[in-house]
Amino acid sequence: MSQEPEASASDVTVPDALAPKDQSRARIDVSAVAAMAPQRVETSTVFECADVDVYYTDFRALRDVTLDVNSHEVTALIGPSGCGKTTFLRCFNRMNDLIEGARVEGTINYHGVDLYQDEVDPVEVRRRVGMVFQKPNPFPKSIYDNVAYGPRLAGVKRSEIDDVVEGSLTRAALWDEVKDRLKMSAYGLSGGQQQRLCIARAIAVQPDVVLMDEPCSALDPIATGRIEELIAELKTDYTIIIVTHNMQQAARISDMTAFFSVQANEMGQRTGELVEYAPTSLIFTNPDDPRTEAYITGRVG
Amino acid sequence: MTEEVRTEFHQLMEEVRADLVQMGGMVAEGVSAVTAALLAGDIASADQIITADDELDLLSLEAEEKCVQLLALQQPVAVDLRAILTDLRMISEIERSGDLVTNIAKAVVRLLGAELVPRVRGLLDRMREQAVRLTAMAMDAYADRDAGLAAVLDEIDDVLDDLHGQYLDAVFASQNAGHIDTQQAVQLAVVGRFYERIGDHAVNIAQRVEFLVTGQLPEHIGANRARARREQDEM
Repeated sequence: MSQEPEASASDVTVPDALAPKDQSRARIDVSAVAAMAPQRVETSTVFECADVDVYYTDFRALRDVTLDVNSHEVTALIGPSGCGKTTFLRCFNRMNDLIEGARVEGTINYHGVDLYQDEVDPVEVRRRVGMVFQKPNPFPKSIYDNVAYGPRLAGVKRSEIDDVVEGSLTRAALWDEVKDRLKMSAYGLSGGQQQRLCIARAIAVQPDVVLMDEPCSALDPIATGRIEELIAELKTDYTIIIVTHNMQQAARISDMTAFFSVQANEMGQRTGELVEYAPTSLIFTNPDDPRTEAYITGRVG
Repeated sequence: MTEEVRTEFHQLMEEVRADLVQMGGMVAEGVSAVTAALLAGDIASADQIITADDELDLLSLEAEEKCVQLLALQQPVAVDLRAILTDLRMISEIERSGDLVTNIAKAVVRLLGAELVPRVRGLLDRMREQAVRLTAMAMDAYADRDAGLAAVLDEIDDVLDDLHGQYLDAVFASQNAGHIDTQQAVQLAVVGRFYERIGDHAVNIAQRVEFLVTGQLPEHIGANRARARREQDEM
């Protein structure tokens, strides 16, 4: 049964080359943020990465990464320390631009637009491709203001901010726990709640993609479980790319897994590379590359 | 250069592998012993064989417990996961073969005094030979992770199936000739079926070894038919 998928509100139309925009372009559709019902969504390619190299000045940290990231899926990046997985994650929203001497070669297309061409505004990229970090990093503000911060910058009307905050906190599975203390400091929340607040803050600006850099490594198993549930729910609306050291977590939550490894050259420089990229169910039952198998089964060189 | 970072986990897996190889060896020995007892009408030996099966049951249980521990505590993936799943399936195959040996041993008593003509005796011994060979090959394939050896077992099992057919003809010819009565003929026919089943268990083990090595589950004709029907229904 192959019928043309109907266009839905969640279909993301980005291009017009992510150029700097006037305020009205960046306006947020509140109803979409508040939309709660999970829906079946057709996947499409969000990122096409071809021969990506990342250099820190002369040092090549990552080489020849070619992979596609599908929409409405969770893509996990796994591998040993120093394999370049976080470096690669930071390519997707041009976070590496912020590091002195960092340079990305090869191409990363985002909905067909070269992310690294001159006309692309990195700030706009980061609005569409949000990020959640390893340690929860709420602003030293109230719970409400943490979530409202981005939408306000984007020019969302005052009258609509309440709805955006409620919708985002609900979507991040935090609303019921904080609705009676929205004006209190975000620092009063537990680590797991703070991390969900950071997720709410990331989705409040209605991004297309959410990048997560070991979002559960500072959390206990219960809080980790909540975040994992949340990730599974969020993928109906967003595309998620997650770096994790916890292979069981990658196995539990991701659809696709990319395994990176690290190779030292004769000069002793260690460069990361993509070893294998495949459906998670395959990676964890019958990986193709012996290096993947060695790593995930603990027979590591 | 591979460095092991989950030594204890993999050691325990090796233990299970050794347990299963030992159990497979016990089955192969049991098939030979029970055939000798059957041909000799040796009730004392048959009795010993029945008792010895308890040992196999205990080993099965212990191996299964180890697998449960490995699954619960070590979160095995990839080849490790496939190995433990294979072990679990193999434990029941081997244990069932052990039960079949016991069944043959029980038949020794029931067949006491039956006149086994040379052709029946000869075919019993040849079925013994094939059942032992198949079991040993399956266990070798498992111990060596040899998918190539595993892949040929199904075909080799045709020899035993063929012998089984000849054996049934011989048994009923012997009955028609008045050497044995109906009840003895039926008992002998059932015994023949036990050998044939031991061969099938060896083939099942081999298929599991193929899964362990390649990650491909065995083809299943019935399942393929059901899948085709399901796809038909969905059209």
